[in-house]
Amino acid sequence: MSQRTERRGIHVDQSDLLCKKGCGYYGNAAWQGLCSKCWREEYQRVRQKQIQDDWALAEKLQREEEAAYASSHGAQTQSHPQSTAPQSHPGHASLGPFSKFEEKKTNEKTRKVTTVKKFFSPSSRTAPKKETQEGKTSSPSISRHASFDTDQVSKDFVDFLKNLQKPGREIHKQCRAFIVAMSSKKDLSADELSECVQDFYQNMADRLLSHYKGWFRRTVVVISSSDSVEQVMDQVEKYIMTRLYKSVFCPETTDDEKKDLATQTRIRALHWVTIQMLCVSMDEEIPEVSENVVKAITDVIEMDSKRVPRDKLGCITRCSKHIFSAIRITKNEPASADDFLPALIYIVLKANPPRLQSNIQYITRFCNPSRLMTGEDGYYFTNLCCAAAFIEKLDAQSLNLSPEEFERYMSGQASPRLNSSEADWPQTGTAPGVTATNTVLAQLNHNLELLSGLSSRQETLMEAAQSLQADLLSWPAGVQQEVNNILEKYPLEILPRTVSAIDANNVDTDNLPPPLTPQVFAG
Amino acid sequence: MGENLRGGAQLQNDTLRKSLRTLKVKLVLLGSSGVGKSSLALRFSKDEFRRTSPTVGCAYLTRVVHLRNVTLRLEIWDTAGQEKYHSVTPLYYRGAQAALLVYDISKRETFIRAQVWLKELEKQYIPGSTVIWLVGNKGDLATHRQVSVEEGQSLANDRGLFFTEASALSGDQINELLLAIAHRVYECIGVQQEGLSEWKETPLVDLRNRDKSSRLASCC
Repeated sequence: MSQRTERRGIHVDQSDLLCKKGCGYYGNAAWQGLCSKCWREEYQRVRQKQIQDDWALAEKLQREEEAAYASSHGAQTQSHPQSTAPQSHPGHASLGPFSKFEEKKTNEKTRKVTTVKKFFSPSSRTAPKKETQEGKTSSPSISRHASFDTDQVSKDFVDFLKNLQKPGREIHKQCRAFIVAMSSKKDLSADELSECVQDFYQNMADRLLSHYKGWFRRTVVVISSSDSVEQVMDQVEKYIMTRLYKSVFCPETTDDEKKDLATQTRIRALHWVTIQMLCVSMDEEIPEVSENVVKAITDVIEMDSKRVPRDKLGCITRCSKHIFSAIRITKNEPASADDFLPALIYIVLKANPPRLQSNIQYITRFCNPSRLMTGEDGYYFTNLCCAAAFIEKLDAQSLNLSPEEFERYMSGQASPRLNSSEADWPQTGTAPGVTATNTVLAQLNHNLELLSGLSSRQETLMEAAQSLQADLLSWPAGVQQEVNNILEKYPLEILPRTVSAIDANNVDTDNLPPPLTPQVFAG
Repeated sequence: MGENLRGGAQLQNDTLRKSLRTLKVKLVLLGSSGVGKSSLALRFSKDEFRRTSPTVGCAYLTRVVHLRNVTLRLEIWDTAGQEKYHSVTPLYYRGAQAALLVYDISKRETFIRAQVWLKELEKQYIPGSTVIWLVGNKGDLATHRQVSVEEGQSLANDRGLFFTEASALSGDQINELLLAIAHRVYECIGVQQEGLSEWKETPLVDLRNRDKSSRLASCC
């Protein structure tokens, strides 16, 4: 690899603007001085080689790992020393390979090194490579210099698998090989990628299932809950998707991003839709309800920040639970789907969750399918899909409006709230519209009062502070004055000091009565 | 019902021996709003031994049904019945093993609506993969009946559906319906192993729960 980068002419110190390859086009520093075409060629070549290398390394690593596991499990001490050792110096482990790397290229500027780092880091390929260099420690942990998250997930995964002993090793091997394989497939379409991942899930689940069936027959050992296939699959999904997230979320090969923008614009254009138009049975004036609404909105927005499909589903489920609570509080009975879907649509409209379509696509493509078609999470996810589809198709009829009204609202020529004050809107809309405006005004007035109160209090505070300052300034002068006065009044006189001699008996004795003398009375 | 009663003690032995096979079944409730889908769902799930806290909503519920040699975990998906959401409902019944078309026997338009749902459903589903059940709800309102039993039955016969009249209010026919659905689903789909995904739980915990829930089920 190093020779290649060398040959590629990574040095930019000549700082000329043309492509380093001399093809006549302009180069770009971001492409290490190459033009876009040459850069792409170069990049592909290096990548291809990297992939091949990594395959070899991964295989080597697997052999090492197997040996390590075999030896560690030979002793009945279990895997504890194994599990703690690699964790104790993760920093060191991740630094190792790069210090070596830099060693070879001391002539290079540090800036170059970071570009090279960046160049190779987005993919997970670096992981197995490093491990072979660290291979002597025979640790199955993967340490990368990537985000803390990824490291943490890897560690968790390894720790989880350790409890599984032999199958755990197998699972880990498979997952890593899969991630390596996936990194070479970045040019595939999103659907193909999805298929790869889903096939992998399927194979893994099948194997686990057959393994556990055999296991049940052979052993009467109490099996801890962590052994169930579903849990293993969750961990596998978490590990794999955290690693693949960047390359497969909203990939360039799809028009997800365009759809995201379209949905976002659409929701923005629908800002005027009120809770009444959607027939949502939530009364936001009840503080508890509005609290739940806010939480639901937060949760659905939070979805975008998660990497693992299942975590995203978790956000949707939490959001849905809050909606259910809100409806329950309002209606005083458990919410049915008839109440829930409109409420969810309302929440989505209010939240305008970032990259909604991308997230839905990502979950659909890469989540364990059994989670989507069935189960509680699947149910809420389906509802979210429905909400998104409904918002896309939303028209006058679905809001119980006339097409003209809908058009006017959409074009911004009118707003339902203004209409309500003009009273040309039927009662259904007016009352809530007006009260809504009134509550807003009341809130505004209240806030203004609070503010003016605050400002007057601040003024008094400032006055007090100023007078205090003046006092403080005048105080030393006053003290000085007083001291002077006292000094004037009682000038300092130095009296001649009378030396009293305690030993001298003659000082005061003259004035003293004679000492008592014992008298003897003759009885 | 008879199934459960007969099952009793023997069922537990069976389940112990057969490493506790539990299959997940997705059951979708379709029908206009106000026909009592949610009440049906509540009825279905009521007897279940529930580990989680009481649900805040009744849109998604589960119920475990024990058959002679298998346990089915029914997941009941309620759908929004309002007409305006009609276009998005296909998303719900994707991958469902059973669909319940619910109508209100005291409201003719809900019966007509049910036929619209049916048409939609027939467009989507693969024959043999979904058990479709026509359910005339609100059997307790027989005095205001607008749809006769014969009408329902003949529609079901024409389209190859199963048919039951029930009452979510009184609970009449509810358990019978549930068991019949479970049987049918297991017969139609369960035999092709792929059709139902196995529900994997902690086997140890499962054992205890299964015992409890089967006791509950067998006394009802």
